Amino acid sequence: MSPRSDRTLAYWMILPVVAAVLTFIVGPTYDVFTMGFTRFRMGMPLEFGSLANFRALFADPVFWTVMRNTAIWILGGTIGCVLLGLLIATYLAVDSRQTMVLRALILLPWILPDVVTAMAWRWMLHGQVGIIGQTATSIGLSERPISFLGDPDLVMWSLVVVVVWRKMPLVALILCAAIRSVPQEHLEAARIDGANAWQRFRFVILPHIAFSLTAVTVISMIWITAEFALPWIMTGGGPANSSHIMATYIYQQSFQFFNWGVGAAMSVVNLVVLVAIVTLYLYIMRRSWRSEADR
Amino acid sequence: MLIRPNRRKFIAGSAALAASAALPMRPALAASGPLSVWKFGGTPREVEMWPVQDQAFQAQHPNIQLDYTYYFGQIRRQRILAGFQTRRLADVVIAFGQDIPEFAGFEIIRPLDDIAGDKMAGWRERIVPEVMESGMHEGQLYGLPTYVDMAAFIAVDMDALNEAGFDRPPATWSELREYAAALTRPDRPGIAFPATTAPVDINIFEGIAYANGARIFDEPNNRVTLSERGMIDALQLYADLIADGSTPSGSSMTETNFRDTAQLFAQGRVAMWVGLSWLNTPWGAPESLNWTGAPFPRPDEVTGAQPPVAALMDPTAILMVSARTQNPEAAIAYLDFWSQEEQLGLWGGTPEFSRIPAGRNAWTSPELAEIWPEWVEAYNAGTLFAGAEPMPRFIGVSAVETALGNAIQQVVLGRQSAEEALQEANEAAQQQIDILRG
Repeated sequence: MSPRSDRTLAYWMILPVVAAVLTFIVGPTYDVFTMGFTRFRMGMPLEFGSLANFRALFADPVFWTVMRNTAIWILGGTIGCVLLGLLIATYLAVDSRQTMVLRALILLPWILPDVVTAMAWRWMLHGQVGIIGQTATSIGLSERPISFLGDPDLVMWSLVVVVVWRKMPLVALILCAAIRSVPQEHLEAARIDGANAWQRFRFVILPHIAFSLTAVTVISMIWITAEFALPWIMTGGGPANSSHIMATYIYQQSFQFFNWGVGAAMSVVNLVVLVAIVTLYLYIMRRSWRSEADR
Repeated sequence: MLIRPNRRKFIAGSAALAASAALPMRPALAASGPLSVWKFGGTPREVEMWPVQDQAFQAQHPNIQLDYTYYFGQIRRQRILAGFQTRRLADVVIAFGQDIPEFAGFEIIRPLDDIAGDKMAGWRERIVPEVMESGMHEGQLYGLPTYVDMAAFIAVDMDALNEAGFDRPPATWSELREYAAALTRPDRPGIAFPATTAPVDINIFEGIAYANGARIFDEPNNRVTLSERGMIDALQLYADLIADGSTPSGSSMTETNFRDTAQLFAQGRVAMWVGLSWLNTPWGAPESLNWTGAPFPRPDEVTGAQPPVAALMDPTAILMVSARTQNPEAAIAYLDFWSQEEQLGLWGGTPEFSRIPAGRNAWTSPELAEIWPEWVEAYNAGTLFAGAEPMPRFIGVSAVETALGNAIQQVVLGRQSAEEALQEANEAAQQQIDILRG
């Protein structure tokens, strides 16, 4: 086959993927941008090219609470998932009978449906009937029942704990696979050179799994940003807006209040923020990739 | 193009024209074809009995292919809107009366006057007029109600009440505070009211506030009225009950919705709770629990600027027809089926007894009289609906109610006074209304 026909075949083979991306990602994104810059009245588009939705959004006091909560949600959730995932992955990478069983069991939170997870945690965290609060009271950690989801100071952190519990298992498994792919000779050589466990982890394992670590961090960040069901079912954005994040507030504006323009404007802000964070992260991590590629 | 008529063409053309002109005059054919129905919310008994009853509809209309789907009630607006936007909305939606102005305003549903024809006379004959009125909007009928819920009511543990030395439920706000304090024990608060972001929890409070002459919106002036005196004093009642130490902690109530509060009452973990007319019945109170339901106590003195409302009512299973239905005949046949006494009678005490039935005949049911003697007595005396008004309904109602819900939570959590919280909520809601209504 000639190089030209090779190239033609390649184009044909990627055509379905390109078509799918255009239909399901680029198309809706274009629609959201258009709606964000369109002024609506009673659900009817009035004029395109207006900044009214963005002005309304930035004048809304809840928007700034939402931004703060979203930062806690994304950063807390991602850092929690990756750090805890790395810790558990390091343990799971060790060959033993227990770790073989645990590698399968750890996926349980991942395979549960979102709604089931949210309802179960809502009950467990309930102040009056929840097992977690009751246990804390019975062992003397607290004098009064703790309302994890009813207290504005606790609610966001409680949600972060739940999302970490839910998303971390897959992160741990991916990192476990990456750690197990580190060549044994490298670890052996480091041991002979007198490196202790921490030094082997820091200077041998971590550089080897840098690429996987970056990938799961970015993926976790995107998963957590897109997560809607858990916070919505558990709190509905309450109490007093203290657990509204971007996803729930966009939903509320668009589908409860029928303010589609404002909801779309917020989606645009959400996209810009996410792209900025991911770009910054990739920029910081570029050196680790390069060193791995050189190897 | 030159037209050359001849005798054959002329006769054939005239015959075709005559036939097409005669088409609308022929008797209507029985409805047929596919019919999709979405039902939102309902008590467990109702959710179970609705599709069972639909089998009778299928038997009566074998040419209609019914596709019935049940959804959780609190997602109805989102589901209906998404269906409408994607042109996949069901032909018939069974949702809440509060939704009618928005759905009609966005042309999601169509007036039944246009398509129901002579069926409407029968509906008016079989349905209680005040309940039928709850399906009206701007002089047109948009929905066929099967029952209504009313706000606000109070459920009382009679054993706890007697133990505290009382023999009847509280009748005024000051009595309520006195009773709640007296019924409170270290392991059991005297009263609980749901204060989550669930719309029903907000409706319950609206019933209390409207009885004090408050309103949430002034439609002619396009003005949110959350920060007026009647509303502030009603919310102050919640704050006072918490300050008296008669309730669970504020943070606990902001995470406990109406259904969960009913459960706490059924378990004897609270002596009174505030709900809608169904109170504890949909979720089952144990037979050993000696309890009664009563209208929520009235203010000692009405402080709001508007006339006090005896109760707010909303049909929470009202059948509406999609503006985009391709099969209005089948949709009307379905509505007509549910307007028949056999169906409306299902809310007459057997099997369902937790709703206020729409069917006139349901009120003659001995089962209903046995379970709710006060309701039947008031209905027969013509006072059951006296002074009742529909739940707030206007374009933007959800935004205003959500702002009110936030204000309730701020006060229940002790973060703001009633006046501050409602002032803030008023501004936020007005901003949302201005965006939506232009």
